[in-house]
Amino acid sequence: MSVAFKSAVDDSVVDELRAIIGDDDRVLPNLSSRVNRTRVPAPFPVHRWAEFMPDVAVLPTTAQEVSEVVKLANRLLIPVVPRAGGTGLSDGAVPVRGGILVDVKLMNGIHEVDLVDRTVTVGPGINMLKLNEELKRHDVFYPDDPASYPCSLVGGRIGTGGWSLLGARFGHTRDNVISMEIVLPTGDIVEIGEGGGRKLRKSSTAFNLKQLFTGHQGTLGICTEATLELVPRPEVEFAAFFAFDDYMKAWETVGVLTKAGLATLAGVVLFDEWKIAYLRRDDEAYITQPDSVRAVVAVAMYGTRAEVEPASKVVMRLGRSRGGKYLGDEISAGDWASRHDRYATPLHGRSKEGQAVLMSWHCEDAALNYSVLPQVREEWHAIVARYAERYGILDDWGMFAYTNGANKPWGDYLVEIDVGIWEERLDDENWAGWVNCKREISEVTLKHGGSITACHGATREGDAELVPTEMGGAWEVVKAIKRTLDPNNIMNPGKQSLDEAYEESLT
Amino acid sequence: MADGYDPNGDGHLTEAFVEQWHTNAFGCFSSGHKFCREVCPVMQVTRNENHTPTAFHANIVAMEKGLVGVEDVADDYVHCTQCGACELRCPNTLFVGDFYRHRTRTVDVVKAMRALMVETGNEREGWKLWNERLAEHHNEPVLGDVPVSQEHVADWAEGLDIPVGGETILFVDCEAAFYRTSYTRAFAQLLQRAGVEFGLMREQWCCGGPAAEMGYVELARKHADHNVADWRAVGAKRIIAPDPHDFIAFTEDYPSYYGEGYDFEIVLGVELVNDLVKEGRIQLTRPVERAVTYHDPCRLNKRKGVHEAPRELLRAVPGITFNDVDHVTQWSSCSGGGGGLPIEKPEITDEISRRRVARAQELEVDTLISACPWSERPLSQAGAAAEQPLEVMDLFELVAQSAGIEVGGQAQAPAAEVRP
Repeated sequence: MSVAFKSAVDDSVVDELRAIIGDDDRVLPNLSSRVNRTRVPAPFPVHRWAEFMPDVAVLPTTAQEVSEVVKLANRLLIPVVPRAGGTGLSDGAVPVRGGILVDVKLMNGIHEVDLVDRTVTVGPGINMLKLNEELKRHDVFYPDDPASYPCSLVGGRIGTGGWSLLGARFGHTRDNVISMEIVLPTGDIVEIGEGGGRKLRKSSTAFNLKQLFTGHQGTLGICTEATLELVPRPEVEFAAFFAFDDYMKAWETVGVLTKAGLATLAGVVLFDEWKIAYLRRDDEAYITQPDSVRAVVAVAMYGTRAEVEPASKVVMRLGRSRGGKYLGDEISAGDWASRHDRYATPLHGRSKEGQAVLMSWHCEDAALNYSVLPQVREEWHAIVARYAERYGILDDWGMFAYTNGANKPWGDYLVEIDVGIWEERLDDENWAGWVNCKREISEVTLKHGGSITACHGATREGDAELVPTEMGGAWEVVKAIKRTLDPNNIMNPGKQSLDEAYEESLT
Repeated sequence: MADGYDPNGDGHLTEAFVEQWHTNAFGCFSSGHKFCREVCPVMQVTRNENHTPTAFHANIVAMEKGLVGVEDVADDYVHCTQCGACELRCPNTLFVGDFYRHRTRTVDVVKAMRALMVETGNEREGWKLWNERLAEHHNEPVLGDVPVSQEHVADWAEGLDIPVGGETILFVDCEAAFYRTSYTRAFAQLLQRAGVEFGLMREQWCCGGPAAEMGYVELARKHADHNVADWRAVGAKRIIAPDPHDFIAFTEDYPSYYGEGYDFEIVLGVELVNDLVKEGRIQLTRPVERAVTYHDPCRLNKRKGVHEAPRELLRAVPGITFNDVDHVTQWSSCSGGGGGLPIEKPEITDEISRRRVARAQELEVDTLISACPWSERPLSQAGAAAEQPLEVMDLFELVAQSAGIEVGGQAQAPAAEVRP
């Protein structure tokens, strides 16, 4: 059984791909096409770039083409890597063993808008901002709203099991995808939903396969069409930012706000003092904040005027109930409006000596319960400080905690520590150091009963090797599923420790 | 190069290029956000990751690492209209740009790479031919086989009695002098109506901007030298540029060539006409019963931040129904007519314009108004080819109509002659 094979794409494979695709402009074996389908925004071992290049990229336009490409790969045992936006914060779309990269960006059509049963059916290559531009005329929207909203694509959101800034109100990707068309690793094309029925939100027939196919990191198949939720456009948006002189007061305030039972609450975000210090360096909205500001809580609500206006009064009262100071309408509305652009540009980076240097943004995410946030925060910062001191290429950009549960914002959080990485200084030694740093962060997460990733996917070194530990006894189920659906381990191999699914069959 | 491989002996050129653009490229590469991608007019059509500003910067890092050479990436850089949307949408520019005085430069990167392509023998056939014709005739070969020449550069002005020389010079873009002459006639007659004194050049060459956009640096500079010498010879102090592309050349390229010695006042046509209307020197008395929307030309809106003056002018036209789309939404729009794209990739230009016209048609208008003759050629073709044809008109033509001016000239060439 093939476990860790390197790809075997030669001219005859490229010829076969050309025959399948039927358009040479959409079969790209040239160097530039491969070079540019390698990295994602996550920090990249730039000194080892060539190791991560696919052998050839294809840009299919139909599920049939994808199916034929996958069948070819399965026959010849060539790795297949699905890639939509390539905007992930982990390595889901990064080829680690070469092979055929299936780039779905041309599959970006809107196939059906059903205003009666409230669904929109799209290709996986469409971007949410672009989709919502089209949906606006119908007074509906698709509410999946990640930080990468202007650039990530629906297919990638499904593959990674994306998290939405507005998830507390509208749900995350998996809650807003109703059904999908999937090309399995064998090339078979199947419709995947809760049960049958392309437009049904709830079913108890057979198994709920939809959840299996949202968040598999491209290791179980390629989404070629998705039927998505249509939500009434909110009439009003309300955002309020509160400043605190102490993290614990801010943390308590988050607890109070999320447990207040406000149905229009779309998100509560807790910024810690490292994050405020980072913003204060160069962000004009924060430079002017007094030094006493050491934590900020941001709250956003969406809904009808009849709901949001009275609820906003509750938020203003609760936001101040533990010593919070309202930061004013300008920062609240402005900062929330610019949330997609603001927090991670390479210009923010500082070397150990305090010099501004261009750094790549690593966003280490985890899912953690509310109760452990203060303790995890201290342990994570201590780890990053230790590695930053030793290697001199890291910069602690602070932590966020976001409400994580769809429609149930009170119990658990997407927690991120943002770390700047000076990619220009990367070599084997300090890349290994960085991976160790990540692993220690993830180990703290597991120690506190968390999950090592809430949304980015455990596809990188430092995370991937801990997946079996996190899954415990269920890891056997995971491996069995992977082996069954992908008998030859061709679908995005080398991710999430799934190679282990094949090791046992060797013995 | 990193691996010392330099069969053509021009590795030093690549090295110098990489060194010049390293920091700018790494600012994008290490961010990797790709927020620019969905506003890029070319990427929206091809959906090819190589045709994105992100790739334009990543390629430079890859060159530095010795992974690719100019010949490997040259085709990527053909896929750009130099509209500037990516620079506006860049998070590095948007938020901390003020603090660090940083603006991601992508248009300049594309121009510089194209210059490197010319220097290293990786030029494109279409652009090469186009620039050979420019070198020969000194005006853009805007009509392909139809000859352009100094003999005909002022034919558009027939009967308008415009003098040559003077302190204020009207510079007429080649596209507008030979092709969409109605544009230029409308503009000149609006100035005459307001009593603005201006003259033409003794010998007007192409501004050189398009040559610079395609990487033909020396040829561009030669044309600039000629034009500036002509301006100085007649004692010009003020240059009126109705065409946004010329305005870019005169306010960005020329100052970079001549430094402080370049002291001409450059006046943008649309702002001048808007001022003249506001001052009452041009009276718009004739109602124009049209339902219109406005196409923000990239070089006005995205490159120069000019979006208010054209809208004010449109709103000043009596009788008009103006169905506007805000200028930020229009960062995603383009005609596809700029940056030499229609010469090398006409099918992409056509598709970009087709989509722009389709967008306009959703607004239930009968006319799409633009303010750039370069956009008006592909847009007019797309408008004429649409299932329900949409008329494309220039803003000056519209304003002239409302001022009661019989413009004359031509707005479209026969279909067979439209390709450069």
